[in-house]
Amino acid sequence: MKSAASKKSKRVSRGGGRRSDEAVYSSVASLAEITAESLDAIVRKIDGEVFRELKAIAQHIQTLRQEIAVLKPGEIHRNSIPSAGHELDEVVHATESASNRILECAEEVMAANTSDVERYKEFVQERMLSVFEACSFQDLTGQRIAKVIDTLKQIETRVARFAIAARADEGAAAMPESEAKLIANSQSAVDKIFAAPRRR
Amino acid sequence: MMPADVSMPILVVDDYKTMIRIIRNLLKQLGFDHVDEAADGSEALSKMRQKKYGLVISDWNMEPMTGYELLKEVRNDTHLSKTPFIMVTAESKTENVVAAKKAGVDNYIVKPFNAQTLKSKIDAVFSVE
Repeated sequence: MKSAASKKSKRVSRGGGRRSDEAVYSSVASLAEITAESLDAIVRKIDGEVFRELKAIAQHIQTLRQEIAVLKPGEIHRNSIPSAGHELDEVVHATESASNRILECAEEVMAANTSDVERYKEFVQERMLSVFEACSFQDLTGQRIAKVIDTLKQIETRVARFAIAARADEGAAAMPESEAKLIANSQSAVDKIFAAPRRR
Repeated sequence: MMPADVSMPILVVDDYKTMIRIIRNLLKQLGFDHVDEAADGSEALSKMRQKKYGLVISDWNMEPMTGYELLKEVRNDTHLSKTPFIMVTAESKTENVVAAKKAGVDNYIVKPFNAQTLKSKIDAVFSVE
């Protein structure tokens, strides 16, 4: 572009006239002015867009900071999760203890002497009462599991709110359908897999 | 269909004593009195190398050696590879069932189960042999 301008300038020089020189300079000047004006409009437009984007990002960061504060990650980490873990440990312990007690009773009944029917009946009734007592674990474990469910719901609510604020859930699927189909989840489904020809 | 030999020694592998106790009692009801137990895959493997078992019934989730790892070890061991192996587990994902089948498991029982299911799976294993 520069060489084209210089060629044009040389041609004008060869023509020799001062008037024509002035006309050329005037044209170049007005051309430069128009170019500058149009570039200024583009630059102003770009500046405005960048400014708006930066402002939106700043606002988003501010929102995220507020949502993180509401999320109370420290509280979840320090209290909610350890507490839920403790409740579940107790559930495991209670169910194991109850299962062992019920198994003990069943084993004792099955091994009992049946020759004296009256004594056998009394013995079985006594052991059945122990089974009923052992089954009371369900009440305690039910309450503990309810606490854990409550904790999970609280965490779910906070995380869902945060996900909306962070726009993190856009395009996310709960569970791909193909993955959901992978859970056989029943003896009959497993049996179907085993019904296929074996290679061993 | 050839019934399973009730006098054969059976090895039950599970890290939960309660589960071992349940399976032992169910097997007893089915007439199987010779039942040994192991708390994980490595203990089971060690017992299998000392004694010949007619059947192994194993859980999947155990530490340090899982039931799946035990199955692969058994199938790769020339002395143990023919031992019938039933997986009894809550791991019911299709990919796990398929993986166990590929590794050579003879049958697969999903927890919770009852005596009838256990009996039918044992019968199925020995009817194939």
